[in-house]
Amino acid sequence: MSTITANWKKLLPSGVALALFLVLPLVMEIGTNILNLMVMLFIYVILSQSWNLIGGYTGLINLGLAAFFGCGVLVTHFIWSTGVPIYLAVTAGGISAMFLAGVIGLPTLRLRGVYFAIGTLALAQVCRIVVGNTFTRMVQMPISYVVNYNFISRYYLGLVVALIAVAVVYLVTNSKLGLAMAAVRDDEEAARVTGVNTFRCKVLALLISAFLAGLAGGVYAFFQLTFQFVSSVFSPLWTFGPVMAVIIGGIGTLLGPVIGSFFLVILSEIFALTTGEAHLIIFGILFILVVLYFPHGLVGSVDRVRQLIVRVGRSRLWKAIH
Amino acid sequence: MEGVIQTIAYGIVVGALYGLIALGLGLIMGIMKFLNIAHGTFIMLGGYVSFWLFALWGIDPYLSIPLVIVAMFLMGLLLYKLTLSPLLKLPHIGMRIDNSLLVTFGVIYVLDNAMTLIWKADVRSVIASYTGGALNLFGTRVSYTGLAGLGIAVLAAVALYFILSRTYFGKHVRAATQDAEAASLCGVNVQQTYLISCGIATALAGMAGVVIVSSYSVTPTGGLSWLLIGIVVMVLAGEGNINAILPAGIMLGLIESASVFVVPIQYRQAIALLIFIIVLMFRPQGLFTKRG
Amino acid sequence: MLEISHVDVYYGDLQALWDISLTIGGGEIVTLVGSNGAGKSTIMKTISGLLKPKTGSISFEGIYLDKLPAHRIAELGISMVPEGRRLFPQMSVLENLEVGASVREAKKARHNTIRWIYELFPILRKRAKQRADTLSGGEQQMLAIGRALMAQPRLLLIDEMSLGLSPLLVQEISQVIKDINKSRKLTIFLVEQDVNMALSMADRGYIIENGRIQSQGDAKELLCSERVKETYLGISPVEKAG
Repeated sequence: MSTITANWKKLLPSGVALALFLVLPLVMEIGTNILNLMVMLFIYVILSQSWNLIGGYTGLINLGLAAFFGCGVLVTHFIWSTGVPIYLAVTAGGISAMFLAGVIGLPTLRLRGVYFAIGTLALAQVCRIVVGNTFTRMVQMPISYVVNYNFISRYYLGLVVALIAVAVVYLVTNSKLGLAMAAVRDDEEAARVTGVNTFRCKVLALLISAFLAGLAGGVYAFFQLTFQFVSSVFSPLWTFGPVMAVIIGGIGTLLGPVIGSFFLVILSEIFALTTGEAHLIIFGILFILVVLYFPHGLVGSVDRVRQLIVRVGRSRLWKAIH
Repeated sequence: MEGVIQTIAYGIVVGALYGLIALGLGLIMGIMKFLNIAHGTFIMLGGYVSFWLFALWGIDPYLSIPLVIVAMFLMGLLLYKLTLSPLLKLPHIGMRIDNSLLVTFGVIYVLDNAMTLIWKADVRSVIASYTGGALNLFGTRVSYTGLAGLGIAVLAAVALYFILSRTYFGKHVRAATQDAEAASLCGVNVQQTYLISCGIATALAGMAGVVIVSSYSVTPTGGLSWLLIGIVVMVLAGEGNINAILPAGIMLGLIESASVFVVPIQYRQAIALLIFIIVLMFRPQGLFTKRG
Repeated sequence: MLEISHVDVYYGDLQALWDISLTIGGGEIVTLVGSNGAGKSTIMKTISGLLKPKTGSISFEGIYLDKLPAHRIAELGISMVPEGRRLFPQMSVLENLEVGASVREAKKARHNTIRWIYELFPILRKRAKQRADTLSGGEQQMLAIGRALMAQPRLLLIDEMSLGLSPLLVQEISQVIKDINKSRKLTIFLVEQDVNMALSMADRGYIIENGRIQSQGDAKELLCSERVKETYLGISPVEKAG
């Protein structure tokens, strides 16, 4: 808490933005298009925070995030359809994803480096195939749910869960577990030698990450009542999108995924209206450039620009004095 | 009995294609320790090149292979120059692999969307006079396209074997794989070796694409499923064990073909992937390598 | 022939070499000795192009090497026998030699060169088809030297040849090297922990400690100097007097 009061100047912009997000829909008439967009944005924020936790902070590249997301969607959908209140259903979705992570995560975490990524990719594909063949018909909610659909509640659920996700990541990364995760990321061998239980650390990171992804799935289930092809929620796009958001925004930072999600979702919408599909190609190229030449993403670049300005300013001041 | 022979024949034909897919993937992974997950996309690209050569100029896919090889080879050079060579500056092997995953994932994104934009999301395949036709061999029916695919896969594997073991370039490749610094001390231009290997790998992907567009179909986003198969075969063969890739592919094909007796057909790919994960967990060095 | 001028070398942010200057004339055998970690291998890696100097320059017959990649330096006629030999473990003896002749001119002449290497080290002909990682330590060292010679270098760098070898083997191999130096006028620069062996073999020597050149001069004089005797040969003045 003390760090928050000490850094209040840095937090001010975020605080203002947060206040706006909280209050605006209550005082203004916001179109359903924009509300839809905001919900997607929140889902992206949650998913990208989830990926960032295991990928950015622990250094494990998970290419099967969609499996946890999809699991959350399905579980939330079916639990909610039985009449359970939505926030409990969403939590159940998160927990179910955690179970899935436990089941598939434990074996894959024993795989070194790149094989973990391949293993998660393969497992997500397995989930997709199995689900696609189990639910061959359209999955939908009873009519009463459709009739009572309220955009504002979707918005706030998304916003609250997104805030929870950011808070969870903040707390975890500033805890002892967070230190262990960073140690694993930087040099797993060294970490193990100095007594860090690397396996336990990776498992916890994966479980928390899966929980968040499952929550995101729950929000999506609340948002999208009908699924033509349910296997689409296990599509690799639900992994790829958040990964891009994290990398472009700034991997391994708290705000990076948020900024990246904004960037991707909002710009996507703007571009979609004008240039059609071409904007996706531009995002892809940007992504590649960031991975190769700007590994700290937007957040890092802003920092670097700020440092540059300070350095230039200081040298000018020095020259002026002398 | 007929059923068994049919199963075996089918498994060999399908498996040969699986091996062909994995050749290019295994080449890059073995030599440079990069995982090129865009390999599947390049397969699709090769298929599209062949498709348009057929649709616009009536060139038979199998005759178009030399053209596809050249086109895809050049693409491979571009891939290396633009996206992979910057990664060589990274000091840590682990970082190189991780970043190669991310970078090639970006390549997938760019190329898949570009292909969707240019060629639309429709499913394409080449229907030629021999499509659907089959040969009666040993009491079982083998499709013409299947046989052609088998032939191409074997040719590619043999050609690669010869390049790697008999030519000086092949020696450079193997030397750079085993100790890149020592190789450069001997005068081997390691970067150029990597560059050309990348070209060869994508050319192999293109060849697989030709087989796929005439035996199955191509879509802009279909590369991922083929990529996963390639990864499975590569892991079964063992990292860097390029000579074992075709046999490993055929083995996978046979297993998948035989699994029809046990599992409904839709779950076949899931079974293959699960077997793969089990192998990864208990024998990560693959089934074909001797050292533990 | 080779001139190193005021070179500093860093590993990342860690400085390893300070203001190194040395020269090697054509046809000489020059040695650089020092204890473990003194910086000997670092100098070798810098000359051969695996490391780049932060300041200073290295020139070989007038051509500046500091910006060139390792394979270009090999093409210019500098060959290195690396520390730890660094053979290609899964390739055969013959293949290792062939890769050694990757430089264009050397490739053309490789059949003759291989024959010559087999004369120098007959055991290699016997093991020609065997994998390099099945050879004994001494055979591996011979193969490493043979591989470096395949490039038909004008300057041969040898990094810590004696490590892990029996004294007899070291004698044999150093004799071969002395012979090559005489018969082919091949300039040799060797870096060694075995001070006795190195200074006995060489014409001139440099001594390096903690990343800096401490002394230089005629090899035989260095061998007899008090300092060398004390520091490296363990002969103290008190013992000598007694």
